[in-house]
Amino acid sequence: MSDWQERITHETAPAIRVEHDLRYLSAAPLILSGGPWADLGCGNGVAAASALGEERPKDIVLVDLEESAATAAAAELGVAEADRIAGDLTDPALLERIGGLLVAAPGDPVITCFEVVEHLSTFLPLLEWALPLAAEHRATFVLSVPNDAFWATQNPHHLSSWGIGAFEELTQLLPPERTMLRQIALNGSALLDWDAAPLTQTIEARLDAQRAVASHFLVAFGPSHELLARGARALQADAEQDRRLERERESYRVQLREALAQQDQTIAKQTEELRAQTAEFEKWRVYIHELEAELGRKPSGSDAAAGGADPA
Amino acid sequence: MKVAFLVNDLALSGGMGVVVQHASRLSQLPDWDVTLVLVRDAEGPSWHGYEHLPHLHVRDRDHARQEHYDIAIATWWETTFTLFELSAERYAYFIQSIEDRFYLHDEAERLGAGLTLDLPVSFITEAGWIRETLSLLRPDASCHLVRNGIEKDVFAPLEHAPVNADGPLRVLVEGSPHSWFKHVREAINAASAMREPHHVTVVCTDREALGEVVADEVVGPISHREMADLYAQTDVVLKLSSVEGMFGPPLEGFHRGATCVVTPVTGHEEYIEHGWNGLITDWDDLRGTARQLDLLARDRELLQFLRTNALETARAWPSWQQSSQFMAGALEAILREPSPGGAAGARGLLADLRGGIEIYNGHLVERAGYARRAMRFERRIARIRATPPMRFAQSLRRYRVVQLALRPLRPLARRLRRMLS
Repeated sequence: MSDWQERITHETAPAIRVEHDLRYLSAAPLILSGGPWADLGCGNGVAAASALGEERPKDIVLVDLEESAATAAAAELGVAEADRIAGDLTDPALLERIGGLLVAAPGDPVITCFEVVEHLSTFLPLLEWALPLAAEHRATFVLSVPNDAFWATQNPHHLSSWGIGAFEELTQLLPPERTMLRQIALNGSALLDWDAAPLTQTIEARLDAQRAVASHFLVAFGPSHELLARGARALQADAEQDRRLERERESYRVQLREALAQQDQTIAKQTEELRAQTAEFEKWRVYIHELEAELGRKPSGSDAAAGGADPA
Repeated sequence: MKVAFLVNDLALSGGMGVVVQHASRLSQLPDWDVTLVLVRDAEGPSWHGYEHLPHLHVRDRDHARQEHYDIAIATWWETTFTLFELSAERYAYFIQSIEDRFYLHDEAERLGAGLTLDLPVSFITEAGWIRETLSLLRPDASCHLVRNGIEKDVFAPLEHAPVNADGPLRVLVEGSPHSWFKHVREAINAASAMREPHHVTVVCTDREALGEVVADEVVGPISHREMADLYAQTDVVLKLSSVEGMFGPPLEGFHRGATCVVTPVTGHEEYIEHGWNGLITDWDDLRGTARQLDLLARDRELLQFLRTNALETARAWPSWQQSSQFMAGALEAILREPSPGGAAGARGLLADLRGGIEIYNGHLVERAGYARRAMRFERRIARIRATPPMRFAQSLRRYRVVQLALRPLRPLARRLRRMLS
């Protein structure tokens, strides 16, 4: 069964956490460039805190549908003074309020909006708000959407579908000065000293851009769009959990295979029995028909017998 | 935003359906007012089913001329004739195919449809291949891609692709037999040439036009919901079209767990991947197509693999609601863009016109040649008629006896005249 992680927590599977971390990491040079930062759909702030390290912008606006999430994000980021706003990002009044806070603060605003658009019933108000903010107030936006064609099943929380085509349609509505990135999944492995303490290790990732299938698409637009960083990040896999899931799946598969084999055997046995019984019944039928013929009756089972015709 | 979509009529068709989907959804956005402008005199089916949308109107051309719109949008090449009669801040052209391809080489409409692509307008289109073509034809013009959505409440994606473990392969052929480029009969013939057990269903709006075909079932016209049910009972959607815009039917089938066998027609590249979610067959290769269907009938693992991936492809495709948000964004962008000058496209227009005149000249020269040859025969016949024996023979025709004697030859004479005319 799929585990839809729409809120990232410390317990979220590493494969999903690292995706979120990397997106904030790519936006970190923008977020820390000195101007105010708004994080639309901030969630619990776990990924942002992980990516930004110890540094924080001076003016922060944390926005989420739920106030508790924005409060948790402020706590996670250690920014008690951050503006926290709860509301629906399809509401133009809410967007105006966020814009007002950003414009009032010194510096060029940066707005991150990761994995939010697909949750909105309409992205038009967000777009109508973002374009003039970028053009008139030097705001830079970074947003991401998932590639739904990459995932095996339908996410029940998503209100719109995104693939490379839909993303292309979205980006053509944005200013031509923009940076677009594809996020792709990695497989990796590491070697540790036997008695190593927790550490960060640099890894090398070989990427085949031609064959890469994106899990997410990112776009930055606004005056500082070129600051969007590239890179790769890996988190230690939760091998224990992965192994458990893999074993559960394997044992389930074995069970199913066994059940199927037993069913096949039963069907084969019953088919054989049916064949034998049919042959036996055929002999009886022939015998009965012979007796009926001797008695001058129509053979039972025939049309005439079924119609109740009197042979006499 | 006040928008006018120009349409020929309100008769239900695939292209008109797309316009209505956008128009009805745009009209529900705050501060949007949408009008469908009928460029022809109203005829046929009237406008029903959208009365609950207060900001969606239907107007005739005369009424629309009295209004001022933010954007006026042509939706078919013939509607461009009226486009500039309307008063609007911007003019756009929603192109659902390169429409000159609908006509054969010697049809005058072919030139007309082609020329309209040179108009000073912003383009909106529904398929990547059309945008690429337009970018080559009109690099000066802005072109916005708004792919058609899918009615996800009707063609709701199934949770899993249904399994057909050992039944006959269920093949669905869909399309109008009136459109030569849909190749509906060829598709039916290909399906009937299968060697493996199969069940062919043909969906057709006009059974009479379809004529005699070898199919297990012919249905239609049917509603979208009935179509969705039918797709859910289908293994393979078979389409052998040679002209398509966005190529919607296989995608609708994908939503209901069917895979497809299709020609590499324009539009297929948007979502069909050979060996992943469908099979691509060659042009005019009915035997090869039948063998591909046979393969799917024999290899049920491959069939299920394609159907599963087809369903996944469908899940990533936008709904009409999302598609119309892109349309709204595109229209807002067009309104922000500077208006194309009157000279935009004029060079192309004149070049195309010149090309058209040359083709027309070629036809005239050809016709004059035929006329000259015909005249040579006419002159000889006239000379023969003028000879004394022929004049004498003709003078005999006034006698009733001769008329009666010649009566049996009349059909032959009529036939000769037809041949010479």
